[in-house]
Amino acid sequence: MNWAALKLLFKHEMRMVLRSRRTVVTSLVLPAVLMPGLILGTRYVQRQQAIQLDQTTFLYAITGPWADEARRLIERYKDAPEFRNFHLREEHPAHPEQALEDRTLHFYVRTMTVEEANQAADDDDDTPTLGSQPVERVTGVRGLQVVFRGNQQIARTGVERMVDLMRAARRNESYTIMFSAGFPSHPEGILAMTASNVATDSQISGSNLGRFFTVVLVVWLVAAGSIVAMDIIAGEKERGTLETLITSGAGRIEIATAKFLAIWTVGLVITIAQVLYALIYIRLNVIQLPDNFEIDLSAQSIAQLFVLFVPLAAAIAAALLIVSAYAKTYKEAQLHFFPFFVGTLVPSLAAVLPGLKSRSIIAFIPLVNVSVAAREVLTGRADPLMIGVTALVMSLTAAALIRYSAKLLTREDIIVWTQHEQAILEGGEKLFQRRVLQWFAVMWAVTFAVVTNVPQLQGARVQILFNEIGIFLVGSLLMIWRYRLNLRDVIGIHRVRWPVWAAVLMAVPAAQVVAVAFFRLVNTVIPTPTELLRELGKQVAPTGMPLWQMIFFMAILPAACEELAFRGVLLHGVRNRFHPVVRCLFVGVIFGVFHYTLFRIAPTALLGVILTAIAVMTGSILPGLLFHAANNSFAILMDAAGISLNRFDWGTYLAAFGVFFLSMHTIWRYGKDH
Amino acid sequence: MQVDPSGEAPVVVCNLTKTFLDQSRGTIRAVDGISFQCRESEIFGLLGANGAGKTTTLRMMSTIITPTSGTAKMLGHDIVKDPSGVRRSMGFYSASTALYPRLTARETIEFFARINQYPEEKVQARVNSLVERFGITEYAGVRVEKLSTGMKQKVSIARTIAHNPRIVVFDEPTIGLDVLNALEVQKAIHDLRSDGRTVIFSTHIMSEAEKLCDRIAIIHRGRILACDTLAGLREATGLHYLEDIFLLYVRGPA
Repeated sequence: MNWAALKLLFKHEMRMVLRSRRTVVTSLVLPAVLMPGLILGTRYVQRQQAIQLDQTTFLYAITGPWADEARRLIERYKDAPEFRNFHLREEHPAHPEQALEDRTLHFYVRTMTVEEANQAADDDDDTPTLGSQPVERVTGVRGLQVVFRGNQQIARTGVERMVDLMRAARRNESYTIMFSAGFPSHPEGILAMTASNVATDSQISGSNLGRFFTVVLVVWLVAAGSIVAMDIIAGEKERGTLETLITSGAGRIEIATAKFLAIWTVGLVITIAQVLYALIYIRLNVIQLPDNFEIDLSAQSIAQLFVLFVPLAAAIAAALLIVSAYAKTYKEAQLHFFPFFVGTLVPSLAAVLPGLKSRSIIAFIPLVNVSVAAREVLTGRADPLMIGVTALVMSLTAAALIRYSAKLLTREDIIVWTQHEQAILEGGEKLFQRRVLQWFAVMWAVTFAVVTNVPQLQGARVQILFNEIGIFLVGSLLMIWRYRLNLRDVIGIHRVRWPVWAAVLMAVPAAQVVAVAFFRLVNTVIPTPTELLRELGKQVAPTGMPLWQMIFFMAILPAACEELAFRGVLLHGVRNRFHPVVRCLFVGVIFGVFHYTLFRIAPTALLGVILTAIAVMTGSILPGLLFHAANNSFAILMDAAGISLNRFDWGTYLAAFGVFFLSMHTIWRYGKDH
Repeated sequence: MQVDPSGEAPVVVCNLTKTFLDQSRGTIRAVDGISFQCRESEIFGLLGANGAGKTTTLRMMSTIITPTSGTAKMLGHDIVKDPSGVRRSMGFYSASTALYPRLTARETIEFFARINQYPEEKVQARVNSLVERFGITEYAGVRVEKLSTGMKQKVSIARTIAHNPRIVVFDEPTIGLDVLNALEVQKAIHDLRSDGRTVIFSTHIMSEAEKLCDRIAIIHRGRILACDTLAGLREATGLHYLEDIFLLYVRGPA
């Protein structure tokens, strides 16, 4: 190591950072202004909302067989002190549902007979709870339902207050009945219950803070470091200054180390600045802590936190350098940043999980170990030995990452961007291969954002149409048009020999049985909650849809659109990137991730791997399309016929595996000629 | 071309080869066993079409990328065994080597003099002389991002020779420049030769090669097809214009 060159390069990097207006503003100025601005702004909005709610007169109606009785109850309790600011006015629309639609009513109270209440309870899948404990729904009693439109903020609040009012009414009416039936005392006077907390305020506050301390610091470290990291490598590549630097007398190791040191320094400095800002805002009462919040940190605890977080900051800085090095431009680095951010956030949340201790295997898992150890320090249960082990593990991780990042700067594909330049100039296939994953990332984000935020797309049919046609079909055609792809190559139009088709049809039932066997096997190791299976069933086969529509919407349409998108366009885009086996896994996992509910990812990814393998083996998406459509149709028909594949014995599962293996072998044997 | 690897020439390139693995086209020999030597106080031109292998050759010589086989020596420093020595002995300039926008012209020259280990006590004097030589005194304290293209070219050449290297490599230096700025760069290259430096210069512009180069190597598909003075090339081909000579070598006799 040439220390003089390293010192010069480090000074140079820091000078560049400090002269970058974007870095200084986004890292130091904005947080200083934004944090109090956000807090004060949120407080103001909340106050205004509260005032507006208190001034609102909620318009409601009462319908159903015992409307008069409900009306009397509301009248009796609405003037109780806790509902002092709840202003109500009853309306009498001819059609309350239409009035909700027209927004001339905030909500209406529907009274129900015993039969109607039982029916409503059967239709409702949500288990009623008392506190956090599920309770059995009482049957044989009349019901009361508050109907509203959830997309109106004010109406939602009004409904919450109305439900509270009716609950208070029910409680008091129950007590009245009990008294009149001869109950000797007030029901709540039977037993006095209190809880006594023997922990100190400092321990409680430490426990609360400890759970989120690491994640907050990691957010700051990553956010601050990434601004510099993106500029320091990807930005330099884009501007051409990296090539200037590597043709100078400085060695690559010195260049990489100086860049790492700059990111590390900036990350630490900005994180410390953020902590100081937070302390100042607490002092100025901009951030209001709970009354009993008390943190008692000794010098030793601060030193222990320092020992934990300095190597963590180094590891994050080195990882950011790597992420930035893989990007060719500043914008590409920004795209890489989000997955990295999520990737660091998840392990740093380990402290939220109860029962994890640093004196366990956890001490050897980077980042998770810091999260758990920091919580122990803040709750006054620090384990000095394990803090040492954690710091050592994090230091070794950081050293390995620094070493790797230094090696990256000796790699030609990282530092020279001729191929990239050529791809941009030529466009077409080459550029498509570079951009295909970005397209799919955007498609995923759009699917996720739209489906979770647009209530009009909540219905099964509309959602499927939007995803399959709006996203997969249109997205695929856009890519084919934009990059001038050859449709025949993408789809793989060529003659597929008949044994392949036969094998595909043979593989479908076998694959279903094998999949069930696989999940039964997994279930013996990691038991799957029945709630989760029920939810999966509901999502896979929505109720109330005619069979022919289910076949169309859930088998034929997804097979056509998804095969074009995943086994056509995506597989075509990554065909030169990985080993065929890795390609199958990669495309399969991306296919799974698009089925964004967590419990659907694994089974669909497994199906995706099989479908990709068929496409790779045959060079065409058509056999896979048949498999996909037949597979989904088979599952729908089995469900409709009430046949469960869970009932088979292990011998049958083994035989199914044999058939499946034979089918895949046949596909490979007769499909490989392409 | 025969070269003497142990010779005294400041630049000796011996069987330099570079292959790339292109994902769609397979293995590509971007540079295929190139050999040549450059003398002192000489402008040696690499003349070739886009994709001929000029930039790859110069990038290997300046240690940005490593050769697949063969080697080159710059003032006796081997590009594979002693890349740092090579970099300190030479200056590299190309259209893709940019300047730090947030440094001033003076800071840029100073930084590159220091990073190339120019004696610390002489740095200021060297910077002053370069500032004066390239006529950038007026804007020496201005950030590069605020300079015009012509000014940036001057600063860029000044930073290339900040450590006073005996060999200077120019990879298509006039690409994208207007006529006036291109002339400025050509003048600077000419002056460097007058200082006694060895200049290696790649271009696809015939008039530039004709005007500047003492010797020209015609490179095509990674191979040197001819290497001589302009007069020698004319004599060998019986053609006068370099463009005709170039086409004769690249396409063969009409």
